[in-house]
Amino acid sequence: MEEFTNETIDTKQLPRFEEVQLTALHKNYWKVLLINNAIIFSIIAIVMIFLWINIEDSQEFSPFWVFGVFLVIVNVSFFLYRISFKKKAYAFRNHDVIYRSGLVATNTMVIPYNRVQHVALHEGFLSRYFGLAKVEIFTAGGSASDIEIPGIAKEEAENIKQLLMGKIQKQL
Amino acid sequence: METNFNKPQRQSSIGVLVMFVDSLQKFGRAFFPIIIIYFFKSESLSKLYLYFGLVGIVLVIAVIAYLSFINFTFYIDDENDEFIVNEGIINKTKTTIQLNRIQQVNIQQSLLQRIIGVYALNVDTAGSDNKEGNIKAISHSVALALKAKLLNNEARKEIISSDEAPIEEVKSSDYPFLKIDFLSLLKVGITSNYVRSFGLILTFFFTIFENLRNIGKEDLIDERTIDGFVENNSAFYLVSVFILGMFCVVFVINISRTLIKYFNYNITKQKGSLLLSYGLINTQSTILKPEKVQIVNISRNFFQKKLNVLEIKIKQAISDESKQKKSLIEIPGCNENERDEILKLIFKQLPEKGIMMKPNFRKLVFSIFLTIVLPLTGFFIFGKYINAEAFEFLNLAVFYTLFFLIIHYFGFRNYRLYINKNHIIKQSGAWDIDNEIIEIGKIQAITTSQLFWHKNLNIGSLTLHTAGGNLSFQLGNYAKIKEYVNLWLYEIETSNSNWM
Repeated sequence: MEEFTNETIDTKQLPRFEEVQLTALHKNYWKVLLINNAIIFSIIAIVMIFLWINIEDSQEFSPFWVFGVFLVIVNVSFFLYRISFKKKAYAFRNHDVIYRSGLVATNTMVIPYNRVQHVALHEGFLSRYFGLAKVEIFTAGGSASDIEIPGIAKEEAENIKQLLMGKIQKQL
Repeated sequence: METNFNKPQRQSSIGVLVMFVDSLQKFGRAFFPIIIIYFFKSESLSKLYLYFGLVGIVLVIAVIAYLSFINFTFYIDDENDEFIVNEGIINKTKTTIQLNRIQQVNIQQSLLQRIIGVYALNVDTAGSDNKEGNIKAISHSVALALKAKLLNNEARKEIISSDEAPIEEVKSSDYPFLKIDFLSLLKVGITSNYVRSFGLILTFFFTIFENLRNIGKEDLIDERTIDGFVENNSAFYLVSVFILGMFCVVFVINISRTLIKYFNYNITKQKGSLLLSYGLINTQSTILKPEKVQIVNISRNFFQKKLNVLEIKIKQAISDESKQKKSLIEIPGCNENERDEILKLIFKQLPEKGIMMKPNFRKLVFSIFLTIVLPLTGFFIFGKYINAEAFEFLNLAVFYTLFFLIIHYFGFRNYRLYINKNHIIKQSGAWDIDNEIIEIGKIQAITTSQLFWHKNLNIGSLTLHTAGGNLSFQLGNYAKIKEYVNLWLYEIETSNSNWM
């Protein structure tokens, strides 16, 4: 029998999750976000123009005002999207996966591999065009404790999935 | 047909029909109001358009159903022991489930599926959402073969044997481990759930009042008599009578509800798990398995402390949403010794309050800002610029402010996180003081969070995710929190503790 040791853990010596170098999302994912939003805002703009033409009362509003407000909203939301895109980053360590996200707050989530239940790979239409995929990692803790990492190159995502599956197996 | 699932395969071709009805249902549910409006307004529109529109929609759905059928494939990867489901027409999803993580495989049949003779197969893992592989239409033989294949591994069998300990067996030996007597229930009834019962009564009165008004029998609550009553008696007298009456009703309701629900509460010990049974009208019985326990909440207020009673709520791991209600177990009215016994049984040792962590004073400031400063500002702006009559309620505003100040002060004072070697205890609450206990081994994931203006102040929040819910601690010392997170991660990753 091996000699049993039970030394005190020096908490200062433990690897630190907060000092891990995180990988940013693929820069093409920003394009996906941009196009997605451009589509949504164009639809809104078209509906607004349609309403403006068809509803008589609305002609009282100056179109420039409405347009101005609309532009401000568009710009602010793109700005916010940019921040949230910049903040998103991930890292796969030997024993866990780290994902950072957030807008006002910076949330860092860590899932140990031995708590992962299953993994899914999701490809949106636009993402597929840019060769990107989203890795979804599920735990038993419900939707609050799942990680979804978008904007990873397809091959890399496949690799990550394989890595995760391998890790899960080893843990059991 | 094929007992070999190594190649991606589609569902039974008749499954298109299931897909079609499914999409039709989804569409119908989403656009139900629009369709109704369309129908009623259709007099002004040409009937021809309407029928063309409907036929068009059905055609589109049929095409969608066909495409989703074509794109839905599943197979078992023998090399890696994985079950893989591919789905999606434009947005594609590939779900991979490790075979030994599969907890249940259900074969089901809806009415439609019965008519066309196919079966649905659902794969369940421990995750609580139902995003896992669901196959909608396969023949019976394929379903059985696939099920056998999916469950054909050793780890699974162990889970089943420990999971499905039959209930009948448990009933065989009966020696009560704990029995909650009438007096304890009475104590709990008197001292708990004020807010909930008060809310219930308020809604009850308001519904009656509304109904009476709607019926149009205003004379039943003749405004003149009420006005007269108000004038004759001082407002103070009226209010105190009302509050007293309310308290009486709340008491009576609370006591009777607690007694009816928890009458004859018995806990019996059986092979390491607990069997609970209770109820006056219909007797409930539940099994509590210590290894499934995720969060234990011990709740007690000032009166209950004096009377030496407390309530325990136990959250178990949930494997699907419909069982969520059952996964919460309440034990009302134990005393401290009984609590310790139960905790020892669940955690194998008594969780002690270890190193204490306090929240930053900004937590207090923030809650005061949110519930006092903001509403009061609104109140004054309203009174000053819109309707000066609002100031007649000034004393009410003062009362409100004082009340919330006291609540927040005590809430802040009680807000603590205790950390020891195996357990984390979070204490919170102003009146009812909750102590939520989790075992470090039961943590599924950890989130740390920091607002950007707190970066230099070294304040941040922590959320611990378990299979029975989350536990969060806000605005603590961030450096300390991160240090503990690293330690917990180390502990979780180096041991293979069974979390359920």
